[in-house]
Amino acid sequence: MSLLAQGALLAADNTVPTGEAVTFWILAPIALGGAIGMVLARNAVHSALLLVCTMLSLGVFYVLQAGPFIGMVQIIVYTGAIMMLFLFVIMLVGRHTRDSLIEVLRGQRLAAVILGVGFAMLLGTGLARGVGSVTAKGLDEANANGNVEGIAKLLFTKYIFAFEVTSALLITAAIGAMLLAHIEKKPGEKLDQKVLSRNRFTKGNYPGPKSGPGVFATSDSVATPAILPDGTFTERSVSKVVPARELTLTEARPKATNGNKQDGEIR
Amino acid sequence: MDSITYAPATGALSSMWLLVAIPALSATVLLLLGRRADKWGHWLGVASVLASFVLGVTYFLQLRGIDGTGNKSLSVDLFEFIHIGDLNVSVGLLFDPLTAVFVLLITGVGFLIHLYAVGYMSHDPGRRRFFAYFNLFVAAMLLLVLGDNYVMLYAGWEGVGLASYLLISFWSDRPAAATAGKKAFLINRVGDVGFALAIFLMFATFGTTNYADVFNGVLASEAGQTVSAGVLLAMGLLLLLGACGKSGQFPLQTWLPDAMEGPTPVSALIHAATMVTAGVYMIARSQVIFNANETAQTVVVSIGALTLLIGCVIGCAKDGIKRVLAYSTVSQIGYMFLAVGLGGGAYALGIIHLLAHGFFKAGLFLGAGSVMHGMKDQEDIRRFGGLWKYMRITWATFGLGYLAIIGIPPLSGFFTKDPIILAAFNREGWTGWLFGSAALLGAGLTAFYMTRLFVLTFHGRPRWQKEGEGGAHAASATDAHGAHADAHGAAIARTEDGRDIQHPHESPWIMTVPLMLLAVGSVAAGWLMSTSVVDWLTPVFGEHEEGHAHLTHTQVTIATVAVTVLGVALGYLLFRGGTSLVEQPARTHLVRAARNNLYADRFNELVFELPGRLLTRALVWVDNRGVDGIVNGLAAAFGGGSGRLRRLQTGYVRTYALSILSGAFLIVAALLAVRLG
Amino acid sequence: MNDIQLPAIDYAALLPMLIVFGAACVGILVEAFAPRGWRFVIQVSLTIGGLVAGLVAIIVNRDLEITTIGGAVTVDGPGLFLQGAIIILGIVSLGLIAERRLERGGPFVAEAAHAANSDGDKRQEREPGATEVFPLTLFAIAGMMLFCVSGDLLTMFVALEVFSLPLYLLCGLARRRRLISQEAALKYFLLGAFASAFFLYGVALLYGYAGTVSLTGIREGVLQSEQSGILLAAGLALLAIGLLFKAAAVPFHVWTPDVYQGAPTPVTALMAACTKAAAFGGLLRVFNVAFETTAWDWQPVLATVAILTMVVGSILAVAQTDIKRLLAYSSVANAGYLLVGVVSLNGAVGSSLFYLIAYGFSVLGAFAMVTLVRDSEGEATHLSRWAGLGKGSPLFSALFTFLMLGFAGIPLTSGFTSKFALFSSAWDSDQSVLVIVGVLSSVVLAFPYLKVVVLLWLNPPGEETPTVSVPSMLTRAVIFAGVAVTFVLGVAPSFLLDIVADAGPFLAK
Repeated sequence: MSLLAQGALLAADNTVPTGEAVTFWILAPIALGGAIGMVLARNAVHSALLLVCTMLSLGVFYVLQAGPFIGMVQIIVYTGAIMMLFLFVIMLVGRHTRDSLIEVLRGQRLAAVILGVGFAMLLGTGLARGVGSVTAKGLDEANANGNVEGIAKLLFTKYIFAFEVTSALLITAAIGAMLLAHIEKKPGEKLDQKVLSRNRFTKGNYPGPKSGPGVFATSDSVATPAILPDGTFTERSVSKVVPARELTLTEARPKATNGNKQDGEIR
Repeated sequence: MDSITYAPATGALSSMWLLVAIPALSATVLLLLGRRADKWGHWLGVASVLASFVLGVTYFLQLRGIDGTGNKSLSVDLFEFIHIGDLNVSVGLLFDPLTAVFVLLITGVGFLIHLYAVGYMSHDPGRRRFFAYFNLFVAAMLLLVLGDNYVMLYAGWEGVGLASYLLISFWSDRPAAATAGKKAFLINRVGDVGFALAIFLMFATFGTTNYADVFNGVLASEAGQTVSAGVLLAMGLLLLLGACGKSGQFPLQTWLPDAMEGPTPVSALIHAATMVTAGVYMIARSQVIFNANETAQTVVVSIGALTLLIGCVIGCAKDGIKRVLAYSTVSQIGYMFLAVGLGGGAYALGIIHLLAHGFFKAGLFLGAGSVMHGMKDQEDIRRFGGLWKYMRITWATFGLGYLAIIGIPPLSGFFTKDPIILAAFNREGWTGWLFGSAALLGAGLTAFYMTRLFVLTFHGRPRWQKEGEGGAHAASATDAHGAHADAHGAAIARTEDGRDIQHPHESPWIMTVPLMLLAVGSVAAGWLMSTSVVDWLTPVFGEHEEGHAHLTHTQVTIATVAVTVLGVALGYLLFRGGTSLVEQPARTHLVRAARNNLYADRFNELVFELPGRLLTRALVWVDNRGVDGIVNGLAAAFGGGSGRLRRLQTGYVRTYALSILSGAFLIVAALLAVRLG
Repeated sequence: MNDIQLPAIDYAALLPMLIVFGAACVGILVEAFAPRGWRFVIQVSLTIGGLVAGLVAIIVNRDLEITTIGGAVTVDGPGLFLQGAIIILGIVSLGLIAERRLERGGPFVAEAAHAANSDGDKRQEREPGATEVFPLTLFAIAGMMLFCVSGDLLTMFVALEVFSLPLYLLCGLARRRRLISQEAALKYFLLGAFASAFFLYGVALLYGYAGTVSLTGIREGVLQSEQSGILLAAGLALLAIGLLFKAAAVPFHVWTPDVYQGAPTPVTALMAACTKAAAFGGLLRVFNVAFETTAWDWQPVLATVAILTMVVGSILAVAQTDIKRLLAYSSVANAGYLLVGVVSLNGAVGSSLFYLIAYGFSVLGAFAMVTLVRDSEGEATHLSRWAGLGKGSPLFSALFTFLMLGFAGIPLTSGFTSKFALFSSAWDSDQSVLVIVGVLSSVVLAFPYLKVVVLLWLNPPGEETPTVSVPSMLTRAVIFAGVAVTFVLGVAPSFLLDIVADAGPFLAK
C-alpha cells in the first residue's frame, strides 16, 4: 500500500516513471486488441475471454494510476465475478448457438467502421490536444489518508444519496431477473423427487436423456424437424441429406425400453 | 392620427359574448347528442344563427345610438388568457362599426343560407353533422371579427379553417372532395404560418397583440422612428400572406375553386360570402400597420389587381357553373384587396364591396345550387340551356345577382365597384393608370364570362335533352357527377324502358325564399351601402380624402358602364346560340393556360409541394428500414417462418445504433470544430 | 486521519423522493409476503397512496429553495414543479396501468418467463397480470424525480439508470403481441445502454475539465478553469447525447417509434408523459445551470438538433399508418419544440414547464383512448381499422377528435396555448429562426392529426371495424383528465402559467 502511495507521489510531479511507462505500453495494446477482438470474435466464449483480457489490463492501469481500490474492484468484481458469470451463462445456453454473422443491410458494416474509426479519431485528436496541457493535481489530497478512505469519504458524504439510490437499481435488477426468468409453479404442478422418478420409469416413458437444449424435438428421429419457440417447425434443423418427412404417430413415439419389438405393445 | 382607445362596453353590448356562445353551444349540442338530435338538429342550427342575428341587430342599434362624438369602439374584457412574463393575452371582444357590419353580414346571410340548407340537405343522412359544422363555422367567424387582439383573430381564423376543411371533405367518399379538402387545408396553413409569425413579430416588437396597443405602437413609432420600417414591412407582408391564404389571392388562390366540391350551401356561406373575406377584414383591421408602410400597401394593391385579372381570365374558360362562380369570387376579392390596398377612404369601399358581394355571390351560389338541385347535380353549363322556363324564381333571382355582379346601375355591384375603379385610377403616378386599367379590364371580363354563364344556363336551346326526343340526354355526364345524388334522386322518374328522364324543376320554398331575400339585398343594398355604410365606417377608417385625380368620377362611370355593356354584348352574341357539348380544341396558349387555371397548380406544386414531397420520400426511404423491420417482425410473429423469426431476433438495433453514433459524431465534431480549428 | 463528516441533509427536501422510493420498496415486500389474491388491491392502493403522499410533500415544500447533501440535490422552483408534474402525470398513467376491465387480467402478462406462444403462454392467457409492475413504476417515477433535482452529474447518472431500468422491463411485459413487446424492450435497453455510455464519458471529460461533477462547479469552472476548452466541448457534447437520447431528439430518436409501438400502451403513455418531463427537466437544468455561460458554443448545435427534430418528426408523422407510431413521431416533433425552449435558456424555462404539463396530459388522454379500440387480437392500432369509428362510437370519436385538435394546436386547446407561450418566449429570446421552423413544422404536423379526424368521422367503416370497449372508472378518469386539462389549459391557462412563473429560474448557486 505504502509503495503504491509513493508511486502516486511520484506521479504527482508530472513525470511518468519508467516502470509505469513500460507497463502502460505493454498493456495498452493488449487492452485495445482485446476490445477489438471481442467485437470481431465469432465465438461468444472467445469474446468473453477477450473482454476479460481488456478488463484485467484496465485494472492494472487503475493500480498504476494510484487507484488501488478501484483497480482491485475491477479485477475481483468485474473480471472475477461478473465476467465469469457471463461465461457460465454462455456455456449453459450453449456455445454453439451463434448468431448469423451475415450482414443483410447493405452498407451497414462499412458505415459502422467508418463512423467508428472517425469518432475514435475525432475524440482521440481532441483529447490528445486537450489533455496535453492538463496538469494533474489533487491526487495527493484525494489519497491523503489512503485511497480506500478517500473513496469512502466521497461515497458516504457527498454521494451518499446516489449511493443509497443505487440500491433501487439493484432491487429493480433483481425483480427484473425474476420477472423475466422465473416461472412460478402452481401448487399441483410441483412434483417431488419421488413422483418424478416414478414417472420417469413408468412403462411407456423413455428414461434416457431427452434431446439437447435448443432443439425442442418431438422425437429422437433425425428426420423430425425441431420446433421453434412459436410452435412452428424449422426445416433447417434437419440435415439436407435426410428428407424431411412427417412421421407417423408410432414412428414418432419414443422407443420402448422393455425389449418389445412392437412399439404399440407397451403396457 | 390620434391614439386609439376603446371604451368599455355597457348595456346590452356587455353581453356580446353571447354572439359567439350561442352557435358554439348549438354546435356542441348537435355533435354530442349524436343521432338523438337527427330529427330536429337542423332547426336548432337555424335557430341559433337567427338568435345571433337578432342579437347582432340589437347591438348594432345600440352602437348607432351613440352620438357622433362618442367612442364607437366598445370592448369587453372577458378574462386573462395567457400571462407569462411580459406576454399578456386576454380574451376580449371589440364591437365597433367595422365589426358591426361584419356581424350583420355573417349572421344575416348565414341565417338565410342555413335556411336554404335545410332544404338542400334534406335527404342527406349527415344533415345534423352538417349543421353542427355550419354552426361551428359561424361561431368561429364571429369570434374572428369580434376579437380585440390578434390572438383572438387567429383563434377564429383557425376555427373557420377547421370548419371549412371539415365541410369541404363532407362528402369524402368522393375522391375529389377529399383531395380538395386536403389542398384547402395545406394552402391555408401556408397562409396561417405567415399570420402566426406576424403575431410573434408583433409581440416581439410591441410586447402585446392587442389591437389598440399595437396600433398605438405603430403610430408612436411613426412619430419617433422607434420601430424600423423593415419590421413594419415584414409585419405587413406576413399578415398579407395569411390574408392571401384565407382569401384565395395570388399565389395561393388554387384551393378556392377546388373547395367547391363541398355542398353548395358551404360554397355559398364559406367560400363566397364570409370566410374568404376574412383576409379583407384582417387587412382593413390592420389598416394602421399598412398605412404606415407604403411598400406593403403597394404589394396589397398589386396582388389585388393581379388576382382580379387571373380570376376573370380563368373564369372565361371554365364550364362548371360553380367553378365559374368560384373564379369570379377570386376575382371579386381581388377588387376588395385592391381597394383596401389603396388605403385611406378606399378601405370603406373595399368593405362595402365585400358586403354587396356577400349578398349577390351568396345568391348566385344558392341559385347555382338550385339549378343543380333541379338537374340531378349536373354542373356543366354546356349541358344546360333554356332553363328559364322551368325554374322561374331561380332564373329571376340569379339574373338579379348576375346584373349586380357585373355592375349594371342601379344594382349593388355598380355602386360598390365603380368607386373602387375610380379610386384605383386616382392613385398617384403611373401606377394609378396601371391599376385603374386593370380594374376596368376586369369589369369588362366579368361582364363577359358572367353573361356566358347566364346565357348558357338559362337561355338558348335546351342542351340537356336530345333533339326531337323528350328523354334526357345528359345521362352519361350526370352519372359521372351524380355519385352523390341522394339529395336529388327524387327528381328522377324511371320510364318503362328504364331510361332516366330529367324534369328540370323549381326547388321547394325553403330554398327559394332565401334566394328571393338575397336578390332583394343585391338590388337594394347598393345605394344604401355606398352612402350610409361609408359614413358609418368613418370612425374606423377616417374621412375619405380626394386624392390626385387622373379622371373624374363621371368619366370613370361612363367607361365602366361602356366596358360592361361591351362585355355583355360580346358574351350574348357569342353564346346565344349555345355552345358545343364537347370541349373545343384550345387554339391559343391563353385559352389552354386558362383551362389549366393559368398553371397555378403546377406552380404551387413546384414551389411548395415538390420540395416537401422529395424530403418526405427521402425520409421515408431512410425510415423504411426500421419500419420494414417491424413489419417483417409482425409478419414473423404471427405468420411463423423461422427465417423471418431470426431476422426479428437480430432486429435492426444496429442500424439505430449507427444512427445514434452518426449523430454523436456530428455533435462532437461541431462542438470541437471551433476549439480545434 | 480526518473524521468523515456527513454533510447536512435536509430530509424535508428529500421527503417526496424518499416517500416514493419507500413505497416502491414496500411494494416489493408486498410481492414477497402478501397472498396472491390480495396483491393487486394492495399494490394499487399502495402505489396511489405513495404518489399522493409524495405530491403532498412537494406541495408542502413548494417554496423551498435549497442545495443539500453537499450539492448532490438541488431543490428549487422548477425542480419542484417538475417533480410535481411527474408525480401527477404518473398518478394519471397509473389509471391505465391498473386497468383490468378492458382485457382480462390487465394489459400486462402474468408470467413473462413463458416463451411467447408456448403452451405455458397459452395457459396463462386469462390469468391476472404481474403485480410487480407497480413497484417498478414507482421506482421509475422516483428516479425521474431525482433526475430533475440532481445537483451533480453523478447523481444524475444514477437517477437516469434508476428510471430507465424499470422502463426497459415494463416495455417487455405486454400481454398481447409479446414478441414485439420483448423486441421493443431489448432495443430500448441496448440503445439506452449505448446512450448511457456517452453520458458517462461526457461526465468523465467534464470532471477532467472542471475538477468536479457538480453542475454549479462546472459553471464556475468555465470561468476559472485552466484546462483546455476541448475537454469542456467534448464533455458537453457527449453529455448532451446521453440526454438527447432520452428526450428522443433526432437523430437519437430511432428507438422511439419501435418502442412506443411495442410497449404495452399504458407504459407508452407513461414514457410519453413522464419520461419526456424528466428528460427535459434534466436538459433544462444542465444547460441552464452548468453551461449557461458557454451558451454561444452550444446554442447553434442544439438549435440544429431542434430544427432537425421538429422537421423530421413532423414529416415522418405524416407517413405513419399506425396510431401508436404516429403518436411516437409526434412526440419526437414535440421534443423538437421543447428543445427550442432549452435553447432559449432562462427566457423559456417557464413556458417549457407549461408545455410539458400540457403535452403530458394530452398524450396520456390520447394513449388511454388508443387502449379502448380493440378486436379479438387486442388493441387495433392500424389506422385503417379506425375508419368510420365516428358512426358507431360518437362520444369516443368526439373526445379523440378534441385531443387530436389539441395536438394540432387549434386554439381553445392546450396545444395552442402551450405552443404559443413557448414560441413567443423563444422569439423573445432571439430564437426567431427556431420559431419560424417550429411554426412551419407544426403546420405539417397538424396534417396527420386531422387525417385521423377525417378518418374517424368521414370515412366509411371498413369490413371489420374494431369495437370501442367500455373501460373501468380508472381509464375513464384518465381520459377525462386528459381531455379536461387539454380544454382548461386551452381556455384558462393563466393559473398554471402563474405557477410556472412563480417557480422562477433554476438555482445556480
